[in-house]
Amino acid sequence: MPLEILLVLVIGGILAITALLHLSGRSRVRELTQQTARSEWMRHAPDDVIVDVTIAHDMRSALVRTEAGIGLLWSFGADTVARHLQDFDRINHPEGFRIRFHDFGTPNALVRLDEFERPHWQNLMDTA
Amino acid sequence: MTDQLSFPDAVQWAVPFFIAAILVEFLWIAVKGKGGRYETRDAVTSLVMGAGNIASGFLLGFIAYGFFMWLWQITPLDLGTSIPVIILCFVLDDLRYYWVHRFGHRIRWVWASHVNHHSSQHYNLTTALRQTWTYTFTFMMVVRAPLILLGFHPAMVLFVGGLNLIYQFWIHTEAIGKMPRWFEAVMNTPSHHRAHHGRNARYLDCNYAGVFIIWDKIFGTFVPEQENDRVDYGLVHNIGTFNPLRVAFHEWVGIWRDATQPGLSPRERLAYCFAPPGYSHDGSRQNSEQIKARHLARHPEDRGTPGFEQFEAKSHNTKAKQA
Repeated sequence: MPLEILLVLVIGGILAITALLHLSGRSRVRELTQQTARSEWMRHAPDDVIVDVTIAHDMRSALVRTEAGIGLLWSFGADTVARHLQDFDRINHPEGFRIRFHDFGTPNALVRLDEFERPHWQNLMDTA
Repeated sequence: MTDQLSFPDAVQWAVPFFIAAILVEFLWIAVKGKGGRYETRDAVTSLVMGAGNIASGFLLGFIAYGFFMWLWQITPLDLGTSIPVIILCFVLDDLRYYWVHRFGHRIRWVWASHVNHHSSQHYNLTTALRQTWTYTFTFMMVVRAPLILLGFHPAMVLFVGGLNLIYQFWIHTEAIGKMPRWFEAVMNTPSHHRAHHGRNARYLDCNYAGVFIIWDKIFGTFVPEQENDRVDYGLVHNIGTFNPLRVAFHEWVGIWRDATQPGLSPRERLAYCFAPPGYSHDGSRQNSEQIKARHLARHPEDRGTPGFEQFEAKSHNTKAKQA
């Protein structure tokens, strides 16, 4: 196949599918509840025993306290990603905290917190 | 001996079909309200990975092709290009695919290339296109050497390899439940391949087939999809990025960081490169056998069921020895 036709097909195809998915509402981010945060954490870390779950007001992050320590669960598109807070940096961000994981495949997560949540989350993370 | 032989690049010619099929699958899911999920950034990442795979073929394909042509120069055999020879080549190349794919899950160096294909938590036709950019660096082209030395022309071997990849495109869907029993018995199907993409303990390291599922049945790696254990797609430790560069290279970076940390023996450094994924020198990580064993500790009722048969055999052996 001529290269120019292949390029048009590939670029045009990606753009068309992207537009279709976005315009049909497939860019919505997963919202967490107490129940879904618990079930999602257990999906990621089935050996854990959850003590309690704190969900951010925007419902996109949850701090999960387990018997093995504390962890962060956050919305990742329509799904979630979870990490135990063991090797991380917490960086202040105008909207809350940015958590850096020192992991090339999971570089960071933005946790959006209001002024009331921020000290509480900071306190919980400091106990990690 | 035939040096100049031309076969079409089947994968490139299939690109319009890929795009059309993705649109059809998406519309099917949208209309029916079942049969899979689509998410914009996940799908775009998969599509960009697919485009990058084609680009890497343009940039690095000459290395494998040069190696194959060198083999073709030294082999005294030439089986020609008759239809039966092409069919035989297709079947043997599928056997080659089974082993390369199995190595891809059991040797971290090869997993570093293949992991990106499993990095989506979705399973739809775009996932099929989430392909590696770094296959050349695995050196798995050597597994094709026997085919060429047996007298299959390199162009034919690459052609049937392309057909193999095209076959595997349509099985990346939840829109198709089960195919007829005879088809499920012989061919790789959406059901068999869904199980392969599962991160559930039961489905780890199973169903490596490309076209014919018989290889898994012959070599003992077949696990049928279970109605009572819905497949959870993705990686044991799902990554948190849609950035294609990070998706393509994250495991290579992980190997580098693990193997170059201070205080390791040369054996431990090599194990970080070539042992099965999940190896760690200090026992801080779990490989697939350990994940299965932990699962059975939580769910002993699963012992001996598909995906956990090896533990049943071990417990029988232990009981026999004790007796």
